[in-house]
Amino acid sequence: MSECTTINESKRPRRGLRFYASIYRKILVQDLKSKMSYRADFVISTIGMIMTNLSGFVTFLILFKNFPSINGWDYHHMLFLYGFSLIALTPVQCFFDNNWNLRFQVQSGDFIKYCFRPINVFFYFMSEVFDVKGLGQLAFGIGTLVYAWVNIGIPVTPWVIVKLVLFLLTASLFMIAIMNAAAATCFWIIGSGYVMVIMFRFKDFAKYPSNIFHGVFRILFTFVIPIAFVAYYPSLAILESDNIPVLTWCAPALGLLFFYLSYKFWMLGVKKYDFTGS
Amino acid sequence: MNMRRHLALTRAGIMESLQYRLSTAVTLFANLIYLVLVYFLWKAIYDSAGTDVVNGMTFTDTMIYLILATALFNFLEMFVVWDMSRSIQSGKIILDLLKPMKFREYTFWSYSGGHVIQFVLTFIPTFIVVMIVTHGAINMGVNLLYFIVATIFALIVNFNMEMIVATICLYTESTWGINIVKETVVLLLSGASIPLAFFPEAMRKIVDYLPFRAVYDIPLTILLQKDGTDTIKGVLPMYGLQLAWIVILTICGTLFWKHAVRKITVNGG
Repeated sequence: MSECTTINESKRPRRGLRFYASIYRKILVQDLKSKMSYRADFVISTIGMIMTNLSGFVTFLILFKNFPSINGWDYHHMLFLYGFSLIALTPVQCFFDNNWNLRFQVQSGDFIKYCFRPINVFFYFMSEVFDVKGLGQLAFGIGTLVYAWVNIGIPVTPWVIVKLVLFLLTASLFMIAIMNAAAATCFWIIGSGYVMVIMFRFKDFAKYPSNIFHGVFRILFTFVIPIAFVAYYPSLAILESDNIPVLTWCAPALGLLFFYLSYKFWMLGVKKYDFTGS
Repeated sequence: MNMRRHLALTRAGIMESLQYRLSTAVTLFANLIYLVLVYFLWKAIYDSAGTDVVNGMTFTDTMIYLILATALFNFLEMFVVWDMSRSIQSGKIILDLLKPMKFREYTFWSYSGGHVIQFVLTFIPTFIVVMIVTHGAINMGVNLLYFIVATIFALIVNFNMEMIVATICLYTESTWGINIVKETVVLLLSGASIPLAFFPEAMRKIVDYLPFRAVYDIPLTILLQKDGTDTIKGVLPMYGLQLAWIVILTICGTLFWKHAVRKITVNGG
């Protein structure tokens, strides 16, 4: 399987962003068309997604009915964090959902088709699925965030909005990186779906302030499995605007780094697949 | 009823699960990390609360409850819904229907081996770690025996719920959606995401009479000897509730399945 490597890495002409955007649009339309043919499934899945969010919200309400605050974070600040995490988790849900299919495709050998296209394998693979259900989560997240925002009384200035967008994008990079890396394990371990399931479960802890962790575990959940960056550190840029911690300022760079590393790891898997599959 | 046939299925299940040793090891390891997350979260919550006991649950109780709920979740997890939709797509279900055993019975026993392995390889180690971390806060007495019986009942209730959901999928042809609804509802209303003791009074009253409670809350309540379950007098009503749900769900599930099985359409073959 040397063709794959050759086409993708040496002879490929450099393509601009516009080229990739137009390809993405075309693939996206196909995906949506095929989804619309299973309308019942689409409706039920959307309901399922809303239920998941509602249940998370109910858990949250029950928790705060019993306990007034967590580590100095009151109800509205926690809601802010919750909404922030929901929005930050939307890109991974919408654009990178195909990661969940990776292991089946690798195992069955269907993955090879991605290697034969003269475009970036990672891009092509991810562009195949756009998960519409993620938009429900986005709406839920925005609603929660706005509600918390108004109740805390954060002033709305252009600078704050810029910061919000920047740090939301940053936060989303971390979750994408985690899921990419988790999915890519399937290139080495057969049936590694449980790695993804576990990582996906850890994300439930992103909505709590990470200063609850101590010692080694704080380092683990900050730099190894970076769930502390999925909501906590980025949201401090808005919540603690007078006293922003250094790690928050590092977050954008770190996010790019994590994303880049996960991408490299993923592509390393593809390369390994080239050598074994035939 | 010939027990040998059933145990043969259990044995096959055990051997099959042993093929996935790595998966079991990772699950166990993940449970331990999860244990750490739950520990820190609830420690912070209880520290902020200022009191040691909230709604009759101490920090240690809550910890044990939630960790073992996760361990029970791994142990009880069945992929009936996924397996059934896959075997309908591939047509394999025809072979299972032709087996000289009722389909529900066959499904139950073929999963039993996996349960045995999961219990030994993930539940027991997690239990031991919890024992060590909480310095033996779990009472080692007859409550363990009550707990095991309750867990077996929980397993049967869970199986029945899975089968009913899988049967619904035959009609809707939507596996992911139905499954996520089921999972969400069960995890919330069974106490796996937050102990039922924390639920507001009104909600509690409704949840108490739903079948979900029989899966996680009842075994764990019995283990922790809460709600007067420290005597057999307190345990019996819990068993009664579980058994009632087993009977109801088995009857509904069987009838529903009988109706649905005529509807199955397998393409190709």
